Amino acid sequence: MHKTITWLVVVGAIAWAALTADVEMAKFAKAGPRLWDFLSRMIPPDFTIWQDMLRGLAETLQIAILGTLFAVILSVFLGVLASETLMRPYIWRSTRALLAAIRAIPLILVAMLMVGAVGLGPLPGILAITFHATGMLSKFYAEAIDNVAAGPITALQSAGASRQQQLRYGIWPQMAPVILRDTVFRFELNLRESLVLGVVGAGGIGLYIQTYVRSFQYEKAATATLTVIILVLLSELANGYLKKRVS
Amino acid sequence: MTTALTLLGIGHDFNGELSLSDINLSMETGECLALIGPSGAGKSTLLTLLDGRLKGWSGTASVLKKTLDANKPPQRNTRADIGFIFQDFALVDRLTTYQNVMNGRLGRTNNWASVFGRFSTQDHMIVGSILRDTDLAELADRRVDQLSGGQRQRVAIARCLAQEPKLILADEPVSNLDPALAEKILQLLTGEARKRGIGVVFTSHQPELSQRFADRIVGLRDGRILFDQPTHEVSENTIKSLYFGAPPEPGLRVVK
Repeated sequence: MHKTITWLVVVGAIAWAALTADVEMAKFAKAGPRLWDFLSRMIPPDFTIWQDMLRGLAETLQIAILGTLFAVILSVFLGVLASETLMRPYIWRSTRALLAAIRAIPLILVAMLMVGAVGLGPLPGILAITFHATGMLSKFYAEAIDNVAAGPITALQSAGASRQQQLRYGIWPQMAPVILRDTVFRFELNLRESLVLGVVGAGGIGLYIQTYVRSFQYEKAATATLTVIILVLLSELANGYLKKRVS
Repeated sequence: MTTALTLLGIGHDFNGELSLSDINLSMETGECLALIGPSGAGKSTLLTLLDGRLKGWSGTASVLKKTLDANKPPQRNTRADIGFIFQDFALVDRLTTYQNVMNGRLGRTNNWASVFGRFSTQDHMIVGSILRDTDLAELADRRVDQLSGGQRQRVAIARCLAQEPKLILADEPVSNLDPALAEKILQLLTGEARKRGIGVVFTSHQPELSQRFADRIVGLRDGRILFDQPTHEVSENTIKSLYFGAPPEPGLRVVK
């Protein structure tokens, strides 16, 4: 009985979505030539805009770097508050609920709100990335604190180490690789996410892509897309290298 | 000879279960004492108490002429004076052998200088000489998570010696090692302690090893001392009855 109801709900949901969404199969037939037209107009890419691309890339990098930096600073504080081992349940539980709420708000929405609040340019992008990344990094940092093995700390304490020494030689060596790995991972995400922030006016290379597509300058949009692909590949390479170093 | 530790009427319960009861024990400086007994006998609890980390016990305890407080851990100096070797080694995995041994100096060296990574020439000299004594000099730059069980145990002993302790407490120091290695490690531990004229209290599941290395053996069961004798007086039967039999002294109550 219970199973039948579950199946009915699933089938009902699929039927409702397929029948009521405005999906005309006929459009598929026209899509091929249009897509071909779109792609062929992108070739050859127009590389004369390389200076604009560099400027856009620099701004995207700035947004990612500063957004990550501010998120790290906030997350150190919030990570401690969200740690089960350091805080009382009512503090870490409410901090974690707040962090979950922050993570639930889509980045693009935050960016639009920030553009509304502080105007166009990289600043709303930095603020949006900071806000969004803090929700995730604080949780990661709290977990890094909670996963520190107690045995070695007890050993240092027993040997006469002060609290500062325990932190420096017992807690930090255990936490550092996890924190570094999470931060590098978050930086890569921030970089990818800041690429699209320009679409809502929050700075970076995304602004160029949007401008070129809207003004039908596809050969320039192609250059911007290639730039983005190269940047993402480079950041992945760098991330892979750093991950090896800190493991 | 001076007294290294004195325990009088020590009792402790853990969540209502008696873990130590009416423990009276004393030990001279330089003596090597083995605590033996079945699992749950209270050996580790007693060692933790001597290290000043157990809370809420009753009775009187003094270690190295300092009275222990049942509610407060000892001062930094006293903690450095008592060396403790942990059953699971309790090393900081990502640090090198050298830094792990240097961690033993933390209670002796300048607090803030060490926090910023600066240790005195004396600290480096002591660590260097202990690494040689414990045959670890060649592994100094290796991370301890890349070492074998026996090597890690030697690092744990070296860290304890770097503390320049006046008493060494070792909780099952060889339980994770094969018999040949266990013997070597106990030889190293008791030999280095003898060289420095300091006392050792170690717990063990292996009575034969205790008989080989300790001057005195204390048998514990259900939180009570069942016997406390010089090693050569401890008979096979005494040990058998500790593990398998009824209490060796008539009228002694076994706490369940």
